[in-house]
Amino acid sequence: MKKRLDLPLLTTLGALSFFVFVPMLSAFEYSIRTPLEGGYGLTHYKWAVDNEDFFHYILRSGWLSALTVLITLIILVPTVTWLHLSDSKLRPLIDALSLLPLVIPVVAFAVGAQISFPEFVQNTVLELPFLYFVLALPYAYRALDIGLNSIPLKTITEAARSTGASWVRTIISVIIPVIRGAVMATVALTFALSIGEYTLTVLLHWDTFPTWVTYVAQENILGAIAISMMSLVIPFVLLTSITLLTPDRSAQRRK
Amino acid sequence: MTSKDLTLTNVSRRFGTVTALDNFNLHVGVGELVALLGPSGCGKTTALRIIAGLESLDSGKVAVGEKDISKVPAHKRNMGMVFQAYSLFPNLTVEENVAFGLQMRKVAKHSRLKRSQELLELVGLPSHAKRFTHQLSGGQQQRVALARALAFSPEILLLDEPLSALDAQVRVNLREEIRRLQISLGTTTVFVTHDQEEAMSISDRVGVMSNGVLEQIDTPDVLYNEPATAFVANFVGVMNRIPANLADGKVNIFGKNLVASKKGSETGKIVALLRPETILVKKSENQGNAKVLTRSFLGASSAIICQTHEGTIVQSLMASLNTGEFQPGTSVDLEVTVNEVMVANG
Amino acid sequence: MEGAPLERSAFRFFKFKSVLPALPFLIIFSFFFIYPISKLIYVSFMSNENNFTFGNYQTAFTEPYSTGFINSIKIAFFSALITAFPGAIAAYFIETRGPSKVRRSLAMMGGVLANTGGVPLAFMFTAAIGMQGTLTKVLKYFGFDIYAGTFSLGTFTGILIVYLYFQLPLMIIVFSPAITSLRREWVEAARNLGASQLNYWLRVGLPLLFPSFIASFLLLFASGFSAYATANALTVGNVPLTPLQIGGLLDGNVSAAQLNLGKSLSVVMILISAIAVIPYLIIQRKAARWQR
Ligand SMILES: Nc1ncnc2c1ncn2[C@@H]1O[C@H](COP(=O)(O)OP(=O)(O)O)[C@@H](O)[C@H]1O
Ligand SMILES: [Mg+2]
Repeated sequence: MKKRLDLPLLTTLGALSFFVFVPMLSAFEYSIRTPLEGGYGLTHYKWAVDNEDFFHYILRSGWLSALTVLITLIILVPTVTWLHLSDSKLRPLIDALSLLPLVIPVVAFAVGAQISFPEFVQNTVLELPFLYFVLALPYAYRALDIGLNSIPLKTITEAARSTGASWVRTIISVIIPVIRGAVMATVALTFALSIGEYTLTVLLHWDTFPTWVTYVAQENILGAIAISMMSLVIPFVLLTSITLLTPDRSAQRRK
Repeated sequence: MTSKDLTLTNVSRRFGTVTALDNFNLHVGVGELVALLGPSGCGKTTALRIIAGLESLDSGKVAVGEKDISKVPAHKRNMGMVFQAYSLFPNLTVEENVAFGLQMRKVAKHSRLKRSQELLELVGLPSHAKRFTHQLSGGQQQRVALARALAFSPEILLLDEPLSALDAQVRVNLREEIRRLQISLGTTTVFVTHDQEEAMSISDRVGVMSNGVLEQIDTPDVLYNEPATAFVANFVGVMNRIPANLADGKVNIFGKNLVASKKGSETGKIVALLRPETILVKKSENQGNAKVLTRSFLGASSAIICQTHEGTIVQSLMASLNTGEFQPGTSVDLEVTVNEVMVANG
Repeated sequence: MEGAPLERSAFRFFKFKSVLPALPFLIIFSFFFIYPISKLIYVSFMSNENNFTFGNYQTAFTEPYSTGFINSIKIAFFSALITAFPGAIAAYFIETRGPSKVRRSLAMMGGVLANTGGVPLAFMFTAAIGMQGTLTKVLKYFGFDIYAGTFSLGTFTGILIVYLYFQLPLMIIVFSPAITSLRREWVEAARNLGASQLNYWLRVGLPLLFPSFIASFLLLFASGFSAYATANALTVGNVPLTPLQIGGLLDGNVSAAQLNLGKSLSVVMILISAIAVIPYLIIQRKAARWQR
């Protein structure tokens, strides 16, 4: 089959690339300038990576996000599964509740959080994963909801239960594998949102990787730019290449 | 607008390495309903889409009446098409859907809504005009789609498996309604299906397709009784395939010598093709030549499935009277009631 | 004598059991979301002496806070308006003509740009079109000095430009499902019934896309209206935007006579955001009827 050039598509992709890459490449050029020595070098990147805080904060953001993912899965998967199985009257209510965080601007949420929680909650950084869980809820809930809608959940559950599997076992070794696409989407969405979260974190006076960059900027703007470039470009390249390398399951989706 | 006849001459269409249509020829007379029947992927939809102008052709010609329309764009062809499912416009009401073709032809609003109501009455949905399509059942949606395709009195009506997404009962009712409407309006019609019973029951003629080629086109009776090829014989109706030896143009089946009806190159080991109703089951006092596997009571007739001692499964269709004695495991004698038989390579 | 109370407690137990599985979710969601938002609303009506008052709201609609709302609405509106059409058109070409790999990787990239944004985006644009930025110099070389006038990244226009960078990908992501839901059968049925390409778009395609387009626009509006990180990193308190003003009040950077002013500003923000997000959710729900 001959592939014809698709002009509208190419124009679109060209325009989008221009829009995305011109600022990105410009910023990259800026970030590798070395005013002292003249010319170019990775000085600022090296400075950032050599900074002991760099890995400290990456690690901290990493485990906070991992914890958020864990909380999301532990709370949400059983709840949504149960809502689907039981035809509970609570379902419309929880459907609606799960969308509420979309309505509340994060700044407003941060103000509410700051005046509400008792000392022992405000004093531990562990409040963050629970708040991130709330922020990611509309997306996570929807992803799981769609995943469970697309399978014959009742039949699968009854089959598993009839072989004597407990509820916990049924969820872990039957339901989660069947909806692993939706679970992976939930994990990805929740993790991405938590690891990049800035507004809530900074307004509640916690330090994570995203907020650390603003402190760096006060002493070394070029270092901050280098860090920003890394935090934009690395996930960009990583995720895109994962997408391009994984086999295409949706190829025969529509005819 | 009166209906016209439709002619496809040497139409070919390839998709990459797949040949969807290979020198395809078809003629549908004025007011005739021709079904295109064949297994999935044999090119039925492609043929229909080429007729409608929704698919381009590599070579060949499509003509309506005397006029070559191969180069006419789809929206100027004046053909009504019913798709498999989900083709109704969800933003329009039922009557607006039905009136759509007339609106495109700049018919005044009151006359197109009047026509729309007429058509909805014809398809049995007179009171659904103001509804939206998601408020209709699958069968109702297809009725509306049919009304929409007929509203502007098209020269040709094209139906692409319009019933395949419906429940069995609805399917049977609707196919008869389609036929009734088609006869009363006299619209030249091509009906694509993979369901042989559907094709046989409502068509003037049935064209059996395989791999982009029209194997045979004839009336249902001729197709059933005188299939031109083994493919047609197997695809249309139930056919027993009984291994046998061909010698001197004769085949011995269950102790009876039958004349091989189609002279082909086959000799030696062949399979004989026999319809169930040509096979008689008789209770045997001793071993017999077969054993009953199952008996299905179908009303007036019963299907009795037996296995010969050589292992071949044979189905017989007999009047139900007295077939009660053929319980599973009963030893029986199978007999052939005809004198000629079609043969195919084993 | 014993029958009735026993029955009642059994009944209660049954009711309790029927919500039990949802309890962990409900408790955590209530504690970490419903409670803070309720308290926020409650406190927004409290004076410094903890008496009921509308005072916080009265102040919320005076300078400089009223300008903050106007600017925030303006930046949300314009950033949504500028990106909605190009985003919709890009989504159309990508979804209808793009090979699946292109579609998937663009969805990924869009996700990163629309969500990871925030502070890194601000620094990236400082490097690109800041005073010493590379793009600034390149443009200057070609005789186009963007700093000839009053432009700077820390102004309304500057922030708007940076916002476009995450609004456009967001539009593509949010609008794409609507494009995918346009069935091939509809174009073909329309053609078959005698509609030209233009007629198909006027009578079927655009009417079907329009609600989703409005919904996407509303979501973009809400996203631009609530954005905090980018603007916070780009400005030094010189552009009055409500989220920045609330952040300032929260940090105690700005001395305010009313301690709970930030709360009333937050509640007004929630209301404005709800005006955009709730219609968005309703339209999405309705459109889902034919988006099988
Ligand atoms: N647009 C297309 N692109 C590639 N291959 C196609 C396309 N349309 C049909 N085909 C191929 O052509 C053959 C005939 O298809 P079709 O006419 O749809 O068969 P049928 O309707 O009889 O099931 C099939 O092998 C199908 O895969
Ligand atoms: Mg087909």
